[in-house]
Amino acid sequence: MAQSELVKKHRVRELLVALLPIAALAVLFGALCLVVNIKGYRLDMYLKIVFNEGVVLAIVATGAIFIYSLGSFDISLGASTLFSATIGVMVYNASGSLPLMILTIFGVAIGCSLLSSVLASVFHIPVFVTTVAMMSVLSAVAAQIITTNGGALGGIGIPATVVAPLDNVPFKLIALAAFALLCVFVFDFTKIGRRLKFLGSNAVCAKLSGIKVNVYAIIAFVMAGLGVGLGAFLTLVYTPSVTPTTAGSIGMNILVAIVFGGMPISGGSRSRIYAALVGGFSYILLNNILKIVIDSGAGYGISQIVSAVFFLAVVYVTSMNYRTKLLPR
Amino acid sequence: MEPILAMKHIRKTFSSTVALGDVSLEVYPGEVRGLIGENGSGKSTISSIAAGMQKADSGEMIFRGKPWRPKSMIDALQNGVGMIVQESGTISGVTVAENIFLAELGQFKRLGVIDRKAMNRKADEALANIGVKDVRGSTPMAALDFQTRKLVEIAKVVMKQPSILVVDETSTALSQTGRDILYGIIKRFREEGKAVLFISHDLEEIMEVCDTLTVLRDGARIRDFKKEEFDPDAIRTSMIGRELQGDYYRSDFTPSRLDEVALKAEHLQSGSALKDVSIDFYRGEIVGVGGLSHCGMHTLGKILFGAERPDSGRVVTADGTKITNETVAMKQGIGYVAKDRDVESLALNTGIRDNIAVAGMERYAIGNVLITNAKEKRYADQQIQSLSIKCAGRDQLVSQLSGGNKQKVVFGKWIGRGSDILILDCPTRGVDIGVKKAMYELMTSLKKEGKTIVMISEELPELMGMADRLIIMKDGVIMKEFQRSEDLSDAEIIRYMI
Repeated sequence: MAQSELVKKHRVRELLVALLPIAALAVLFGALCLVVNIKGYRLDMYLKIVFNEGVVLAIVATGAIFIYSLGSFDISLGASTLFSATIGVMVYNASGSLPLMILTIFGVAIGCSLLSSVLASVFHIPVFVTTVAMMSVLSAVAAQIITTNGGALGGIGIPATVVAPLDNVPFKLIALAAFALLCVFVFDFTKIGRRLKFLGSNAVCAKLSGIKVNVYAIIAFVMAGLGVGLGAFLTLVYTPSVTPTTAGSIGMNILVAIVFGGMPISGGSRSRIYAALVGGFSYILLNNILKIVIDSGAGYGISQIVSAVFFLAVVYVTSMNYRTKLLPR
Repeated sequence: MEPILAMKHIRKTFSSTVALGDVSLEVYPGEVRGLIGENGSGKSTISSIAAGMQKADSGEMIFRGKPWRPKSMIDALQNGVGMIVQESGTISGVTVAENIFLAELGQFKRLGVIDRKAMNRKADEALANIGVKDVRGSTPMAALDFQTRKLVEIAKVVMKQPSILVVDETSTALSQTGRDILYGIIKRFREEGKAVLFISHDLEEIMEVCDTLTVLRDGARIRDFKKEEFDPDAIRTSMIGRELQGDYYRSDFTPSRLDEVALKAEHLQSGSALKDVSIDFYRGEIVGVGGLSHCGMHTLGKILFGAERPDSGRVVTADGTKITNETVAMKQGIGYVAKDRDVESLALNTGIRDNIAVAGMERYAIGNVLITNAKEKRYADQQIQSLSIKCAGRDQLVSQLSGGNKQKVVFGKWIGRGSDILILDCPTRGVDIGVKKAMYELMTSLKKEGKTIVMISEELPELMGMADRLIIMKDGVIMKEFQRSEDLSDAEIIRYMI
């Protein structure tokens, strides 16, 4: 086969692999519409649910891409979201100030992320380990605050009227777009993003190329903290109360969402911001489809298994192009 | 005589690159067959197909009269074909013994538990079998240097007593002692009627070690040479498809430099690796640092770049800036080409563009922050063109490049950012003569531009051929400093090395 044909074939294959997550998103959207119609449910209601859940997951996952690009991952992001929202509610209830609540949420979220990264950098503990510890601590503290102040079942909240003007599609879309654009800018058009990706590709080489590993790890966590802050705020906009289970599964869902979006878990140069957006909504769509199809208590386990199989299939397909390139000449 | 291994019409492509067109190769009992060719000629590809590392797209193989289709390197080794790979083929996080018996830990199970003592004892035997007596099976792999790790890999392969041993550009990672061990093993294979496929870029070595020689070029078999036909010029011409003009090394024999000191190492002390080492490096000078592998020269290179901290002493630039880490070094215009290219100098599963751009972003970033694709592409393309990097495009993964082109990417990374001081640790390791020549020419032109080059090397000819000043180290101490001269003899230099 001629060289030009091989180049063409290779590019076509790369393009197909890159488009696969978007195609999967479209297929899942079609599937949701189909099952909702078959079951006779209201499509607008389900689209609203998917949108509201998807926006939060996509935003937190978008911030998390910065950590995942390093080949690392933070399992405490769900707990950070809960903790930030909880402290935000407490601050609002004490001060009655919405701006102060928003500032507090962002401050706490970034603070939690910073703490994880600084602990990992200073004590040379794997990031994964510090984030597991943070998850436990943050969940426990948030649960304690919630049960002490409002009872575990009802949770604590702010008056719905405070955030009601913001609980609409345009505002959330603008928030998502603004944050995604900021992340794309930092990730793809600044030294920070380029260096983070290179760090994820080979940390030893990155250090010997003048990249300060700890500094960039901290920057990645700050960006993730911003996503957590925005996600926590939008969670309160959607449901102006928090319970100990709020955002509980986000940490793991991000991992699945990012893989659904076509990004390798190993991070590096193939990291993409759109993976979080596409993957976040794909995951929520799949979740809701399974909830509708298997709508009984016993079905929960089955839907988890289906998700897992889907996850493995996506990992296999998206890594196909990569694995064939592993062996050097 | 029937060949022990016959490879027929082998074809292999990597994405858009044709690594092997239609290559046939035979190896006979008692034969040491050399494979030689420029980087990217297909030597490693064909030998790795024989050793089960990868599969051919088409073609067939016959080994000891039967079809040969190894499922993996382990499968190949267990059935008679063992390979020592070019770059590191060991795992860092475990012991030497665990590396040697990686796929066979089960044989040491006693009541479901691995008998580590027995495993370590067997590993010690395997190492002693090739003449390595100062490394134990219980030693953590991470504690060993690159050369010793290579010896462990050799012990692992030889222990299985394969019928064919594939040695892929291994000797460049070894000191003379290590090489003697390897040559002894090759001799043993020949005497026992086994076969060796020997890949090297060192023409002298390959002519010394091999009985026959096959030249590959651009994925095709070009010519075979029998021992009596060995002729360096004819082999070189076959390799590159044209006659190589001029000298490899500098043609002048007068040491020259500018009067200005660019970098000073003052009383460097680092464990047992460096003992009170002080050197001044001048602008417009190529300083060669040579010695045996453990003499401390590699540590010196790392400390000069700030990648390691000395126990005492310091490295300062002309303006008195102390080099404390890599970032400071780079701000002072220092670049560093590491010996362990695939681990320390390149991100393999990343494109050429990213690898070149990573060290030079401040050259094209707007406001030292903003990166535009157009500027970055232009920056990478400049290096690809000026260094003639053979590639399918700037975004091709570095892992798909040949050794020489990988090294060119590393050079591009440091030259592109305009480094004034280049620390090159074994810069021509694993590269072919064409690339070597290009690199020597590049070093000469950089010298003329007033740049400082510190060339750390285990190859005496290149040190003698290129350096204005040659520093010989032994056991962490500077033993002797030679000035460039036509009368310089390698025998005299070796006297200070050993």
